[in-house]
Amino acid sequence: MTNLSSKNGAGMIEFRGVNKWFGQLNVLKDITLSVEPREVVVVCGPSGSGKSTLIRCINGLETIRDGDLTVDGQRLGDPATNMTRLRTEIGFVFQSFNLYPHKTALENVTLAPIHVRKIPRTEAEKAGRELLAKVGLADKVDAYPAQLSGGQQQRVAIARCLGMRPKIMLFDEPTSALDPEMISEVLDVMVAVAEEGMTMMVVTHEMGFARKVAQRVVFMDAGAIVESGTPDEFFSNPKTDRSRAFLSKILRH
Amino acid sequence: MIWQQLQSIAGSYPLALRGLGMTVVLSLISLVLGTLLGFGLGILRTGGNRLISSAIGGWVDLIRGTPFLVQIFLIFFILPELGIELDAFTAGIIALTNLAACFICEIVVAGIRSVPTGQVEAALASGLSRWQRMRQVVLPQAMRIVLPPLVGQYVLLIKDSSVVSAIGLTDLTRVGWLVVQRVPNGLLVFFLVGVGYFIVCYPLIMLARRLEQRMGAAHGEVQL
Repeated sequence: MTNLSSKNGAGMIEFRGVNKWFGQLNVLKDITLSVEPREVVVVCGPSGSGKSTLIRCINGLETIRDGDLTVDGQRLGDPATNMTRLRTEIGFVFQSFNLYPHKTALENVTLAPIHVRKIPRTEAEKAGRELLAKVGLADKVDAYPAQLSGGQQQRVAIARCLGMRPKIMLFDEPTSALDPEMISEVLDVMVAVAEEGMTMMVVTHEMGFARKVAQRVVFMDAGAIVESGTPDEFFSNPKTDRSRAFLSKILRH
Repeated sequence: MIWQQLQSIAGSYPLALRGLGMTVVLSLISLVLGTLLGFGLGILRTGGNRLISSAIGGWVDLIRGTPFLVQIFLIFFILPELGIELDAFTAGIIALTNLAACFICEIVVAGIRSVPTGQVEAALASGLSRWQRMRQVVLPQAMRIVLPPLVGQYVLLIKDSSVVSAIGLTDLTRVGWLVVQRVPNGLLVFFLVGVGYFIVCYPLIMLARRLEQRMGAAHGEVQL
């Protein structure tokens, strides 16, 4: 587990010496990390440590300054890489859901399959209904986002990603904007997705989720990966002062 | 005396109808073209290309910052000097379309910028192309912001069309000038001209007000 970069480059997501700056601020410092197919990696760390930026780089919502970032065998920033096409293979779940407010739950789920994947509407709607049923929202197919609770909106957002049949799913603090009683309904869906063998990177402080499905926890601080290990190693025996300090804060309650 | 004048004015109703027709046709063509062009310019202005964006911005500022009468004169009297021969109707359409496009461009830009970044990111993340993001995600949401001022702008532009009488187009305003030469009662004649404009504009004013009220709805696309 100390070997972060895979030798043969077979990783689904490969960071090699990635750096990024916002102005003077070095938000990603020399990141080297490899995520294998079907692996679930939880990224945690204090606020402002660069966790969100890290996963936003993977689908090109942020660009990197230097280093190599390869996703599904394609190098980002390479003119030969079709970013729009690569994004169809990567689902991204936002902290604030970002559902399309003018479209129903079903329309949110079927929009990209119909327009990007060119799947016939009836077929896409059938698949969309099945996905919404899978996340427990069979009765909310025709509801608009404003008529749904936060937990329901986030489950629609996950179904929206799954509708594209992605190879990778990225979650950017998916439960941080939720009322506490809604967190578990979203985590349950995420666990189900993980158990189906999805390659996942999840920025979260939900340590129960990490213990349950993650193969690896990556701890970031001030733009760098400070520590990485299995959830058991990380929670029971954190190696650095910074990770110990962080854990003591989030596990206190 | 007023009775005679009214009779005389009533006698020129074919001319008045022609004038009203000209005003309506001119406005309708220019508003349709101006709306299409204005949306196009607005979308380009918010697109990634800085050169195109600032070129459009400069042009819009120029048009917004000069009197419409001057623009019409430039198009009608100066373009022929450069070898582009225009009849008054075409010149009027070009001038009014350009004016409409510039004002509508600004309204569209404001609407597009009001759509939260997260919406664009979500569309981007699911692999929608630039045009698909615009068409499916950004524009439908921007329309909520755009529609009420857009319809309000139509009212202003219909009134601005009266300026084309200056290059000899027989619109409603010019009919007023023609009639007042026979019937020397400017107050009465131009009161009736005003009524003519009001009849055209009032439904739009009502529509704009209605749209503004409907924008409060919690969700869904705007339905007229």
